[in-house]
Amino acid sequence: MITTRRRALAGALATTLFTTGSFVAPRTARAQGAPVKVGAVLPFSGGLELFGQQAKLGLDLAAAEINEAGGILGRPVELVYEDNKTDPKTSVEKATRLITRDEVVAICGPITSSARDAMAPTMARGRTPLLYATNYEGGACGRYIFCFNTVPNQELAKLVPYLARTKGNRFYCFGADYVWPQRMFQHARKLVDGLGGTIVGEELTPFGVKEFAPVIRRIEASGAQVLLFALPGADGITFIRQAEDLGLLRKLTVGFLGFSEAYLGAFGPGRGQEMYVAVPFVASAEATGPKDFVARIRARAGQDAVVSHYVMTHWLALTALARALRKVGRIDREAVVEGLEGLTVEAPTGPVTIGAKDHHVTLAMFLAKTRGDQLVTVEALGPQAPEAGCA
Amino acid sequence: MPVDPVLLLDALAQALTLFLVASGLAVTFGLVGVINLAHGELLLAGAYTALAVERAGLGYWAGLALAPLVVGLLGFLLDLLVIRRLRERPLDTLLATWAAALVVRQTVVALFGPASHTIQPPIPGSVVLLGAPYPVHRLLVMGLALLVAALLAWLLFATRLGLMIRGAIADRTLAAVSGLAVRRLEALAFAFGAGLAGLAGAATAPLLSVDPQMGLGFLLPAFLAVLVAPGGGPAGTAIGAALVGGGESLVAAFASPVLAQLAVLAGAVVLLRRVAGRRAGRER
Repeated sequence: MITTRRRALAGALATTLFTTGSFVAPRTARAQGAPVKVGAVLPFSGGLELFGQQAKLGLDLAAAEINEAGGILGRPVELVYEDNKTDPKTSVEKATRLITRDEVVAICGPITSSARDAMAPTMARGRTPLLYATNYEGGACGRYIFCFNTVPNQELAKLVPYLARTKGNRFYCFGADYVWPQRMFQHARKLVDGLGGTIVGEELTPFGVKEFAPVIRRIEASGAQVLLFALPGADGITFIRQAEDLGLLRKLTVGFLGFSEAYLGAFGPGRGQEMYVAVPFVASAEATGPKDFVARIRARAGQDAVVSHYVMTHWLALTALARALRKVGRIDREAVVEGLEGLTVEAPTGPVTIGAKDHHVTLAMFLAKTRGDQLVTVEALGPQAPEAGCA
Repeated sequence: MPVDPVLLLDALAQALTLFLVASGLAVTFGLVGVINLAHGELLLAGAYTALAVERAGLGYWAGLALAPLVVGLLGFLLDLLVIRRLRERPLDTLLATWAAALVVRQTVVALFGPASHTIQPPIPGSVVLLGAPYPVHRLLVMGLALLVAALLAWLLFATRLGLMIRGAIADRTLAAVSGLAVRRLEALAFAFGAGLAGLAGAATAPLLSVDPQMGLGFLLPAFLAVLVAPGGGPAGTAIGAALVGGGESLVAAFASPVLAQLAVLAGAVVLLRRVAGRRAGRER
């Protein structure tokens, strides 16, 4: 139902584009009235630009679709972007400004846990919901925070047993020295123990290391069959390149926690193959939902736009906000909270339910691996409920 | 427990790579005396020069040859526009070069996007050394580091230019009144140091993720290597790089990467205090 309507819209849009050569919004469903402002605090400079841009792709599409469908209770939605420069302190300043000056009904973002934790008290004091859509370690709970991406159990529950069954049950954990990898490995240890496997080594590294040969030798010497790897960003790419050069990737399989399409192309042609991850969205999927979603993003952002799950989860956050306000029939900050609690939204990958108590999402997960220059689905894992870590 | 010789090779590789990275800094900081916090971004510029040249279809070697020239020019401009104007205010130089670093980094983001890129090694594959496969490009980088060391030593100690530069360092005023164009010498040395950074960036790029943040990780170890170096010349820098790079590699091999960074930092602080103490003693 929803898919067909969107498709009709996309079709109408494409026709307009091609016949007139310029963008004209469909006149029939034009939203009237003062805009509903939604803030977005995201990194557009300072290191995590890639993720900021991914988030923006999803938010922009969601806003356009909401407005084409008549807005929220007749009012158009307007996104107010703020660059947090990948910095927690700046995030707080921008959030304060959005809450007091722009009077936004909610704020989407940020990307890092440090920025989110820094913003949380400001959000609670300003009684403004934060819609966080990045996968993280869990434990961000409160009336004014909603999480639209995965926590460790959702990413690991099926990935670890699959790797143990098909690749071997000797695991090595290697990641960056901060909270997300630590929580990931804690959870992985429980799963591996339950499966009768062993963790032959666990090790953390500071950010900014350029030379991983010593670690690679040690992992090789441990006889591990699976490497659970949680070193995000450029350092992770450097590690994988060196591990491949030094022959480690021929000896074990990598479960690359936190991997997404944003990494594709960073390893070079024919390299970084057969690395596994569990994600809430796979852009190369054949099903109509994801295919259609990718097409809608690329119609706006260009045919070579990278579409990772971050695009989908940020789209989801804003789309859910619109549904929540329509459901409550009122536009204010408390209405966002009331409406989101227990809400089920149709995402490109199927229904997503927001927990009434924990404010985290139950959503479909997919086991995927790198193949060629793509991330491809190995197995649809079905809906996975979060263990949000709310006391 | 017998030490695996491969680990020693790894340590040697890391020490030589660090020497290559720090050699430019040894010239700009060790010789010219400028604390250049944009050194990492000069490396970054070198790596992206190699990337741009490769994308233009000219291959890796052309990029490796062009990177020191392009970045040398960038260094020349940096000196002309910023550093020279703050010669008497070293603390402001710190801020200004950091600002220059931010400008270079965000320019790279604007031109090439925030994502990681790869540069394939010109000679892919590996050779078996000490019973383990060793990537050819690592050996190339190590060889290049030795070459740069020889070039630096020759320039400084066997040429008239080197003599003039050493003279200007030993006593700036005396050199100036003796008729040396000290400013021009310093500008030349700074551009040369920047060029070395560009070369290091292009040389190490195939071993790493090439992204706008890649320069940052090099800055601290390179400064440590130059700071603990006894004397500013190539030999001193080599010892500094061996202590910092080799030390970090070995501690990481026998303990953990976290401990390695801590140990190297702690070791550097102790060493620096002793050096500072000796200098203070001499001056008194």
